[in-house]
Amino acid sequence: MEAQIGLGNFLTVGAILFTIGVFGIFLNRKNVIVILMSIELLLLAVNINFVGFSMALDDLAGQVFALLVLTVAAAEAAIGLAILVVYYRNRGSIAVDDINMMKG
Amino acid sequence: MISDVTDFASLAPAYPELALAIGAIVLLMIGVFTKSNSANMIMGVAIGLLAAVTVLVIIQTESGLVFNGGFIQDEFARYMKVVVLVGSALTLVLSVSSAAEHALNKFEYPVLILLATLGMMMMISANDLISLYVGLELQALALYVVAAMKRDSGRATEAGLKYFVLGALSSGMFLYGASLVYGFTGQTQLDEITRMISLGGSGIGLTFGLVFILAGLAFKISAVPFHMWTPDVYEGAPTPVTAFFAAAPKVAAMALFVRVVYSSFEPIARDWQQIVIFISIASMVLAAFAGIGQSNIKRLIAYSSIGNVGFALVGLSAASEVGVQGVAVYMAIYMVMTVGLFACVLSLKTDNGYVEAIADLAGLSRGRPFVAGIMAILLFSMIGLPPLAGFFAKWHVFIAAIEAQLYVLAVIGVVASAISAFYYLKIIRTMYFDEPILQFSAAPGELRLVMGVTGFLVLSYYVTVGAPLADMASVAAKSLF
Amino acid sequence: MNELLSQYLPVILFIGLSAVIGAALLFVPFMVAVKNPDPEKVSAYECGFDPFDDARMKFDVRFYLVAILFIIFDLEVAFLFPWAVAFGDVGWFGFWSMMIFLGVLTIGFIYEWRKGALEWD
Repeated sequence: MEAQIGLGNFLTVGAILFTIGVFGIFLNRKNVIVILMSIELLLLAVNINFVGFSMALDDLAGQVFALLVLTVAAAEAAIGLAILVVYYRNRGSIAVDDINMMKG
Repeated sequence: MISDVTDFASLAPAYPELALAIGAIVLLMIGVFTKSNSANMIMGVAIGLLAAVTVLVIIQTESGLVFNGGFIQDEFARYMKVVVLVGSALTLVLSVSSAAEHALNKFEYPVLILLATLGMMMMISANDLISLYVGLELQALALYVVAAMKRDSGRATEAGLKYFVLGALSSGMFLYGASLVYGFTGQTQLDEITRMISLGGSGIGLTFGLVFILAGLAFKISAVPFHMWTPDVYEGAPTPVTAFFAAAPKVAAMALFVRVVYSSFEPIARDWQQIVIFISIASMVLAAFAGIGQSNIKRLIAYSSIGNVGFALVGLSAASEVGVQGVAVYMAIYMVMTVGLFACVLSLKTDNGYVEAIADLAGLSRGRPFVAGIMAILLFSMIGLPPLAGFFAKWHVFIAAIEAQLYVLAVIGVVASAISAFYYLKIIRTMYFDEPILQFSAAPGELRLVMGVTGFLVLSYYVTVGAPLADMASVAAKSLF
Repeated sequence: MNELLSQYLPVILFIGLSAVIGAALLFVPFMVAVKNPDPEKVSAYECGFDPFDDARMKFDVRFYLVAILFIIFDLEVAFLFPWAVAFGDVGWFGFWSMMIFLGVLTIGFIYEWRKGALEWD
């Protein structure tokens, strides 16, 4: 008999991915693309949570929520990339350290 | 199953949103199919549409749930929607004269503002975590684009990028909290969540979810410690866009904050009350001190808006009906003061372009006494000097805090208000007592109109709009309890 | 056992048919097509790139635009599949919800088309 994968395992994976995503945004000193990927990771961690809870509660609302998060995440990624392209055209760099025109 | 979508009459509470959505889509199609530059025409139609939707919100008195409980229309939603719609319409009016300089003379700009306003109305009326999230994102995605709309400006695109990254992070935090709340209550509808909490009590998982949701929402209202995007975004974005950011989305996000904590986490008020008190104190104190060193007026207004959010949260931390009434009054007055202040900032134009440095305002009272006078009235109101509107806004929230026996909070608020007076007075001193260095050109008619109306409302608050506004806010607050 | 296998007969037929069609399409050109080789024609081809070059190169920014548009329209399928599977149960409510969604999506498509986002040059 194999060990059953339960809600706790899903939540642990979700929490770990979420933490990696948050650290990816704040500790990353190199590249804005990495930040976009971290944001995507955050949303996917949330989706794992939703689907895990949906399974444990035997309730469909969580999966519907996950589906909507998925599509909104795509729209967000599209707008993020578009803003990044415009930013690159202006500044010629997407290094995180170069985003410093305004301070205070 | 009775379906909302095929039975048009049952959608009555959502008519304003439907009108705005269809209007925005039609304007987008008109804009993309007309060959010549139709930006001005679409701007005018958009302002008219916002005014029409405001009227529709007021005359459409049918309340209730639609879309299978995902959308709620009540007195609170109606009040907040009117404030948001008026804020959006006025900021569109403000951007007419300077659209070309700020690269906003594209037909997409008014359409995006309409879509953002639609998202805000959805946020205010959301009764389900799913519809709440979708409304929040509709608003946020439109605002990211608007912030970066001046494509050839390094500062505007940097502002857009920062706003995007931190906004997306806040949505992620909100969603993580929403997933925990869903998991530990089994519900996504806000009133059902309340029912489950009062049945089953609260657990550690639910508290975690609450904290994440509040952190995500605190980002949206830019309360300390989630405020760091505000000064940069306000400084970098084109000034009309900054005016919009400061007026409408703040009000909508605050309405959302109120609805979430009251209609779904009311049984565990003790848990969120502590958090709200903390971010309220932190916002007031940080804004009072950080504003002192600023030399850019847009950056200063950013800190001032952080402080104002802190004051509004004082009312919320009372966790009472009077508190909600205070928040409602505060946000309406804040919106009017902010729009007026930005009308003044947008009229500071010389032959070389728009002025943003506070030092350049020197001697404004001699060249442009009207602008300087209105600005002084609005700044005195921000300080909270009686009998101006800002005084009564603060009075409402502090009364609520004292009734809830939050004496320390009220004292800290008054002290922070006194400290922040320092930088407001500095601007007034610069305008009135320094030697003029710049020649300002005359303000366009619509800016003078907005300045005149907001200045009049703020000055005559006690005798004109004060009592009816407080009554309306009281009715709005009652509908939440 | 025999019964079980016979249930898979359509699959066998399908595999066989697709193998025949695939093989036919592979070999017929050798016999029918005009052969007139020149170096450009026989070289390996990859859309938009020099085939023999450093892999670490800069992409044309226009690829981003196509990718961004692709993401948006690709994900409508995430709504269409569950809708199609549950179509019998969701009734007119589901039908009109999806039609409104597709209508809004079409508006977006018209916008990007008119804006020239779909043209490469």
